[in-house]
Amino acid sequence: MTKAVRERPRGAALARRVAGHVVRGLVMIWVVATISFVIIREIPGDPVQGMYESLLQKGMSPDQAERATAVLYGFLPTGSLWDQYVGYMGSLLHLDLGRSLSTPGVKVTSLIGSAAQWTVLPVLAGTLLSFLLGVTMGVYAAIKRSGKLGDLLALSGSLLHGIPVYVIGLLLVAIFTTLWPILPSGGPVDVAFVPGFNPGYIGSLIHHAVLPVVTYTLASYGGWILAMKSNVVAVLGDDFILAAELRGLKRGIVFRYLARNAILPLFTILALSIGMLFGGSIFIEEIFNYPGLGLLLVNSISTRDYALMGGTFLVITVGIVVANIVADLLYTAIDPRVRSGEAS
Amino acid sequence: MKRLAAIAALASIATATACGSTGQEDAGQGGIYTTIDGSKQINASAPINPFNPVGSVFDGYNGMALAWPKNDPIDPNQFYPAIARSWTITPDESEAVIHLQPNARWSDGKPVTSEDVRVSIGLAYTQGGTAYALDPKAAGAAATIQVVDPTTIRITQGANKSNTFLSNLLSTVVVPAHVYGSLLPRDFWHTLKVAQDGKGAPAERAKTEITGLADKVIAFAPRHDVSAGPFVLERVNPGAALLRRNPYFYDGKLIGPDKVELLNYSGNQQIWNYLIAGKLDNAPFTSVPSAVLDRIRAVRGNKVIKGFSPVSTSLAFNQARKPYDNVHVRRALAYLIDRAQVTKIASPEGGTPSLTTSGIHAEAAKVWLGAEFNGLDPYRLDPAKAAAELKAAGMTRRGNKWALPDGRPWKVEIHVPASFSDWISAAKSITSQLNDHGIDATVVTAADYTLYLSELAAGKYDVGFWLMGLGPSPYNIFQRLYGQANGWQMFGGRLEHVAPGTEGNWMGGPETVTVSGTKVDPGALTSRLNFAPPAEQKQIVGTLAKVSNEQLPVIQLWDYVNTQFVNTSRYTGFPPDDSQALRLSSGVWMQLGMIRKRQA
Repeated sequence: MTKAVRERPRGAALARRVAGHVVRGLVMIWVVATISFVIIREIPGDPVQGMYESLLQKGMSPDQAERATAVLYGFLPTGSLWDQYVGYMGSLLHLDLGRSLSTPGVKVTSLIGSAAQWTVLPVLAGTLLSFLLGVTMGVYAAIKRSGKLGDLLALSGSLLHGIPVYVIGLLLVAIFTTLWPILPSGGPVDVAFVPGFNPGYIGSLIHHAVLPVVTYTLASYGGWILAMKSNVVAVLGDDFILAAELRGLKRGIVFRYLARNAILPLFTILALSIGMLFGGSIFIEEIFNYPGLGLLLVNSISTRDYALMGGTFLVITVGIVVANIVADLLYTAIDPRVRSGEAS
Repeated sequence: MKRLAAIAALASIATATACGSTGQEDAGQGGIYTTIDGSKQINASAPINPFNPVGSVFDGYNGMALAWPKNDPIDPNQFYPAIARSWTITPDESEAVIHLQPNARWSDGKPVTSEDVRVSIGLAYTQGGTAYALDPKAAGAAATIQVVDPTTIRITQGANKSNTFLSNLLSTVVVPAHVYGSLLPRDFWHTLKVAQDGKGAPAERAKTEITGLADKVIAFAPRHDVSAGPFVLERVNPGAALLRRNPYFYDGKLIGPDKVELLNYSGNQQIWNYLIAGKLDNAPFTSVPSAVLDRIRAVRGNKVIKGFSPVSTSLAFNQARKPYDNVHVRRALAYLIDRAQVTKIASPEGGTPSLTTSGIHAEAAKVWLGAEFNGLDPYRLDPAKAAAELKAAGMTRRGNKWALPDGRPWKVEIHVPASFSDWISAAKSITSQLNDHGIDATVVTAADYTLYLSELAAGKYDVGFWLMGLGPSPYNIFQRLYGQANGWQMFGGRLEHVAPGTEGNWMGGPETVTVSGTKVDPGALTSRLNFAPPAEQKQIVGTLAKVSNEQLPVIQLWDYVNTQFVNTSRYTGFPPDDSQALRLSSGVWMQLGMIRKRQA
């Protein structure tokens, strides 16, 4: 009875918390969608003229270029800004992000869906790998901070944290695709393989993902190791660790106390990083010709593809809002102090 | 941990069960020809539809036109046969008769007929422009389309005849009627007739009905590729498109490779990497730093083929802004810019310094103008002449800098889009040269090309880079200098000159100029180029070249050279230097019997 009474307010508090997050998240999405709608429409540039001149640059004759672009004027938004906004919001409520101008006739949702799969693989794999590697090495770097291993690990973190992702990417491309050509330099999978669950295709997917994943891992590893090391060092000085050691607790248990407390802030960053993955990684996608969301966003901006730009911004916003909610709930789940604060 | 082990075990089992096939298909003896389509990037989300600008239809491979344009410097009506085996046109260009390849078949085995061409033309009307304009007054619009027999079609030109009618006709993309035919309503041809010949509201309604089909046509996504070209699309992913040989292609014996792989690229860097890795059998030219070019050349089999490209780069002036409204200032700048130096820095492989400013690529200009070409002022580097021109413009020298006639400092801002490395290099070279001669010059970059074009069109720039000389059609060439960008526009079939700063008139030149004592309207002459017979065209081109040379609405900097990278390790028989096929895709080269597998 007592337990049931105690759980009811805790459950109700959690539900209230989630509901509050969802409402705030929806408001945030609406605000961002509105702001990005206005900003996007205010970006100067005629997309059709831009495409026409780009085709001339590529060597097309004016007649050919005109044939290829004349029809695109029909895809440009018309009417007053307010009318466009009302139409946009109406479509949004039906989860319709409109049709693309740069890939005319194709739904924005379909383009985003297709790009998302190529973003999720390298960025998610890279994020998780760098997190695992960074966190583990961060603990060692903190514990062994007076030794050579600690110095070396901290140095590797600082070094990699300071090198921009595109430099790492270009270096890896130069080494592994031209100097020592064992990995493919571009594209997500070899088109010679029939798509499906066959070893050739899966092998090719992995083969093509190696460089983007390694680049992403190396680029983010520095941040994780440095943050984890600093957290562990801070926790090492806490009284409860000292108490645990004085109580003669086993080394493994002390390590668990240490890691669990030090990793807490990093979980929030991890959850947000996973939310951010919907923004893709522009440099990595550009360097490795990996057609993810980052590249899609860049191309949509350069071609002034209003619907695609709006759709991509919206997906990034939703990703971050959802990640925020998840991070908050995750924190509640893994940190007993937050749970007890919630119940009281 | 246990869960992780279970997942790993499941993955291993699944992989093992799938081991029956590697998923890779045999390429055959002809091998896989690897190349890049320079005209567009691969978009796996786009439909297999040539009416979609980014569709997975690639010219010369699985995309076929009636004919392929030759790289002739002055004649836009020179073509290689494709789906059209031959054609005739009456001397007054009022009627063209096109004979199709008798053995042409689609990749599903059905014959290519005149009905396919008729449906393709119907679909082209929904997209508008050139030969298939709905406005009967439009220059070069087709009037009637008549199927004579299954392999012959007759097309007549409307009253407002254009000398590029044949060229636009032969460029018609041909699609299978049995796949695309359902996109045209049953009464389409009647509606078209009402749109072209009718009057008032019914004609307008008919036009709206036809253009209203554009979205449907552009978005149409056939489930499979049905191609009349030498290849048919097998599959496409965001990194590449794979095409296999079409067994029904009418000239199949000429086609060497069994498959073609078109690689995608998101930047020039990838093309360089592919070339350095020796992966590409052919790639269109991209701007390459000298060090990278040396590495590309060093790869076994890599070669460069060069030929004519009817395009030039120029420095264009906004003549509505001071002091660029003064021809003496423009001439002075022309005398101060060492074009050879600029080209050496900006486009050493892909360009040759312009011999002068004529509005036309030098190779084409020599053919058009003959001996007259030598009579044009070459604007060789001459600081003394430049100083005299600046003095004639009222400019004054203050210390070691030139100042405006009212004594204010003169600052030349040269605008370029940030993404064009060759133009940026050229702009830097020019500013450096001008600074050396006492003119305060700087480079200003725009974030991207679309923004650049929009600001240029809005008249925000004094001086900017501009692509010109887009031949071979003389109308297209001079349209770049005396068209919409300089104030001349067609309104209801009538040519008008609008005020600078309005309707995209950013060049801001005068409506008429006096050349060799004669007053001419360059826009009207340019428009006339569309209709004029050859002798008159020649005369007009001569006049406009002289106008451009004397008035300098732009300073022609370099003429492009068509540069192609090829690798002869796997295939041979690439077109030679200066081939008229050089600007066409490798698919067309194959149709012309050029690419053969290298024998071991």
